[in-house]
Amino acid sequence: MALVEWLRIARLGLVVALVAGVAAPVALLADLYQPGRFWCFYAHPNLHSWMAWGAFFIPGYLGGLMLYAGAALRPALRSALFRAAAPHPLLGCAWRLLALGGAPAPLLLRLGALAATVFALLALLYTGMEVMGVRARPLWNTPLLPVQFAITAQAGAVGAVLVLDRVLRGHEPALAEKLTRMLAWLISAELVLGLMQRTPAHAAALAAVAHSETWRMTGTWASTAALATAALALQPRLGWLAGLPALHAAWMFRWSVSIGGQTSPSCGVA
Amino acid sequence: MFSGIAAALGGSVGQPQAVPAPLTTGPRWAIVVDVARCIGCQACTVSCIMENAVPADSFRTIVSTCEVQQGGHTAMLMLPRLCNHCADPPCIPVCPVGATYQQADGIVVVNADACVGCAYCVQACPYNARFINHETRKADKCTFCTHRVKAGLLSACVESCVGGARIFGDLNDPASVVHKLMAEHATKVPRPEMNTGPNVCYRGLDDAFLGKVEAEPTLWHSSLPNPGHAEPHA
Repeated sequence: MALVEWLRIARLGLVVALVAGVAAPVALLADLYQPGRFWCFYAHPNLHSWMAWGAFFIPGYLGGLMLYAGAALRPALRSALFRAAAPHPLLGCAWRLLALGGAPAPLLLRLGALAATVFALLALLYTGMEVMGVRARPLWNTPLLPVQFAITAQAGAVGAVLVLDRVLRGHEPALAEKLTRMLAWLISAELVLGLMQRTPAHAAALAAVAHSETWRMTGTWASTAALATAALALQPRLGWLAGLPALHAAWMFRWSVSIGGQTSPSCGVA
Repeated sequence: MFSGIAAALGGSVGQPQAVPAPLTTGPRWAIVVDVARCIGCQACTVSCIMENAVPADSFRTIVSTCEVQQGGHTAMLMLPRLCNHCADPPCIPVCPVGATYQQADGIVVVNADACVGCAYCVQACPYNARFINHETRKADKCTFCTHRVKAGLLSACVESCVGGARIFGDLNDPASVVHKLMAEHATKVPRPEMNTGPNVCYRGLDDAFLGKVEAEPTLWHSSLPNPGHAEPHA
């Protein structure tokens, strides 16, 4: 399929990235118990901590993303201004501001794409490493966790695009089928990765939750969600239906690892 | 299935704790807990709360209690737990703003003026010794009552211990009880596989209780809401 045929998917992906990119800093700041002290990340960074690096990677990614989005969407915003019969005055004003004339800016586009890609990979790296590096929690301290985070993130992104593609105008079944196949491969990779891990670290991780009834249910639920996604993804016409559990599986994996991993004490009596 | 896989691939047992290398020429404070002397009165827990204004449902130190059975015999396990002020603390390198640091005398403290409340240190501690203080909204932990120690006093928990189970002393002083107990390899450390060099050691503790203890707690139950339990900032 020619690259131009991916344009719709690329735009939907960009919309998903923008929404998540705007929401992420708000969520991260709100999660701090002292959000007013976020400036300390830049004034007194402890670069031995992966989290400290994240304070630089995330703004770098968001800056690259905004630059890329602005350069990529300018022509489309300008033509939307001309096409729309009577745009809402406020919306038209916003489009005009964002379009900034609407002329293509290939250099800005490439710079934004490069920055967003590099910092996105760094953000993927640091989020995985800051969890994997916690030796205190066997469930986190497994070597392939960053890879699993990356694969489930990609599956969630594909799922989000599948759902948006179905609910918005301009749905193209052939394109959706290709995305569905991509999703099937990603879920399969995640399942294979989960089953093939046989290191002492994984043994310790399983031992940490083996006695927990809650964790057995969580593990069963997560596996069922992944299998359901894979089964639906094998039916190309049901792509958008697979997108919903894919989004859920991406969230579920993170919730199970990050939040569920804290409910089991690592020392002493539960 | 999970337990079988875990048993096939992993496992660890308690290791005697060697005397850690001296941090400085000054004092290096440590505590040896004699488990046989602990009667589970929680005087240490209460005195710590009073001395350090620890908020409700949070503990800088606590005596974990549970029932254990072996060979048809049932007994109570009383396990005093607190920050171990490790020689190689895993909580210090993870702090993104360097708010956690170790004093020259080995006591690990949190600079409350710098803490951003991300709770990463809470997750990094292998001993569940840290929490987010829901009143100050900062990381909190046992400090060996460093303000009392600097004034020549004992920590509040040591002072109030009814059974004399908490033995406080200077590891750099060969004449101190803690130095002698640890030098004789008569003590064990929790989760020895973590290699953090804890400076709170246990005398008379069975290997089965050096890590996570799968038992029904008889006093404080983790299913109760704990305002100090926090997820890390990502």
